[in-house]
Amino acid sequence: MLSIQEVKKTYEKTDALKGVSLQIERGICFGLVGPNGAGKSTLIKMIASVIPDFDGEISFNFDDPQSIKRHIGYIPQDICLEQTLTALDNLYFFGKLYGLKGKELKERAETVLKLIGLEKHGKEKVLKFSGGMKRRLNIGCALLHEPQLIIMDEPTVGIDPQSRLYIFDMIEALKEEGCTIIYASHYMEEIERLCDEVAMIDQGVIVEQGEIDELLKKHAEPALFISGDNCLPDDIGEYCTVEDRKEGYLLKANNLLLIIEKILNYVKENASQLYRFELVQPRLEDVFISLTGSQLRD
Amino acid sequence: MDAIITMESKKYLQDRGLLFWMIILPILFTVIFISVFTSGVSDDVKTEVITSIIPGYAVMFVFFVMINMAETLLNDKNSGMIARIASTPLSPYKYLLGKWFPNLFVVLIQIVILFAFGKLVYDISFGQPFALLLISIVLAVTVTGLGLALALLVNSNNMAVALTQVIALGGAVLGGLWMPIDMMPSFIQNFANFLPQFWAHQAYQSALVGELEMIELAKSISILLAFGLAGFFLALIRYPHFLKKARG
Repeated sequence: MLSIQEVKKTYEKTDALKGVSLQIERGICFGLVGPNGAGKSTLIKMIASVIPDFDGEISFNFDDPQSIKRHIGYIPQDICLEQTLTALDNLYFFGKLYGLKGKELKERAETVLKLIGLEKHGKEKVLKFSGGMKRRLNIGCALLHEPQLIIMDEPTVGIDPQSRLYIFDMIEALKEEGCTIIYASHYMEEIERLCDEVAMIDQGVIVEQGEIDELLKKHAEPALFISGDNCLPDDIGEYCTVEDRKEGYLLKANNLLLIIEKILNYVKENASQLYRFELVQPRLEDVFISLTGSQLRD
Repeated sequence: MDAIITMESKKYLQDRGLLFWMIILPILFTVIFISVFTSGVSDDVKTEVITSIIPGYAVMFVFFVMINMAETLLNDKNSGMIARIASTPLSPYKYLLGKWFPNLFVVLIQIVILFAFGKLVYDISFGQPFALLLISIVLAVTVTGLGLALALLVNSNNMAVALTQVIALGGAVLGGLWMPIDMMPSFIQNFANFLPQFWAHQAYQSALVGELEMIELAKSISILLAFGLAGFFLALIRYPHFLKKARG
């Protein structure tokens, strides 16, 4: 669907992207994660043709290779709506920009209003909408022309959990319809839930990319959380890393079974008290922090 | 492009601030100043004052559309709307045309309303209606051309408001819109030749009383168009930079 080759972008003296290459297959949800200022939005704007001047190459494989912009739906991080007009006015506006008109435009606007759960609010001014409703309408404006590639830049920033869940369901429905989705976020749990593949970007370079399960296997160590009285053998640090957490300890090791066996034996021998003993699922966030470090970015 | 025009027109129809600045305030000014300057004067002087004040305030207040033009483009830039539109098939120059066109109509409607008010309330004569129409169209092009340049040059709404006040009010004072240019010092009379307000006002006054010669009409229109084209030229030079900033 999309091939990005050695893309570079410089703003005055700052290198926003330093040679990014990616392949995105048709029909998948592709996550793009990175801290603020990593280059996510710049890359996304290049793919969406918002930033036209850059080094490198971005090529698309659409059914109809003419008029690339007609196949892309771009949902920016900003709420790009005309607040003094109604939801329907906004949908008509964007629909017309993509060449829709007449009956087709009206039907698509109605369909999209239903899809984004605003069918009862079509004639209300956007000014009166909640943050979640505006976000959904912002998404809807990019879906009118039935794009093959949907690019979402932080689509859930600042909204309530209900709206977030609704947006997740919409994305899953779009995926089932065969759309390819690029989803940029710094909420790792959203990427884990929605995406098939992910690329991690930091300081203008891709630090890792691949299927999420593969990345978790490759980079995240299994972990065990334990709390209790006198529950850790003195020499446990030789077999695993021990992090002192607020209510217990987090033990990380490649061979967790050995650690579990050691601890259980120790607890049994010393008649210790165990309050919590649980396996901790490796998270994408751990992978990201392990690859990029925890230092704050400007 | 019609999507942008429709959107802008809908916005303007709901904008009460625009209605106040472009229609209500100039009518208020016209009524107040005419009543001040015509109390206790002969009918001939009264007609002369009215024939000066009505086109004078029309010319002065059309320049306030520049604030509106700057505001709409800056808002689109700051809200990310320009970047969003860049992802659609609409070309950037059609976007700009779409933003310009409704303002041209706003100015034309404003002029029509202010002159119609003059006709209904003060019974001014439309001596040369074709010339009046032509001056109005050219004035609308001039003002919106300058407005486009201003909108693409300034970085904030406050700056746009300040510069528009200087252009509109400064031009009104120095261009003889507030008092007859003959009463001004000679250096101001000379300076007035470099102001579009002066040429529009002079042409309107002569056309209202049916004394605008063809050569004078051509001269006024050419000068006004030159100002407008200079505005468009500046805007086109500045536009790529504006777009680059707006797209991030």
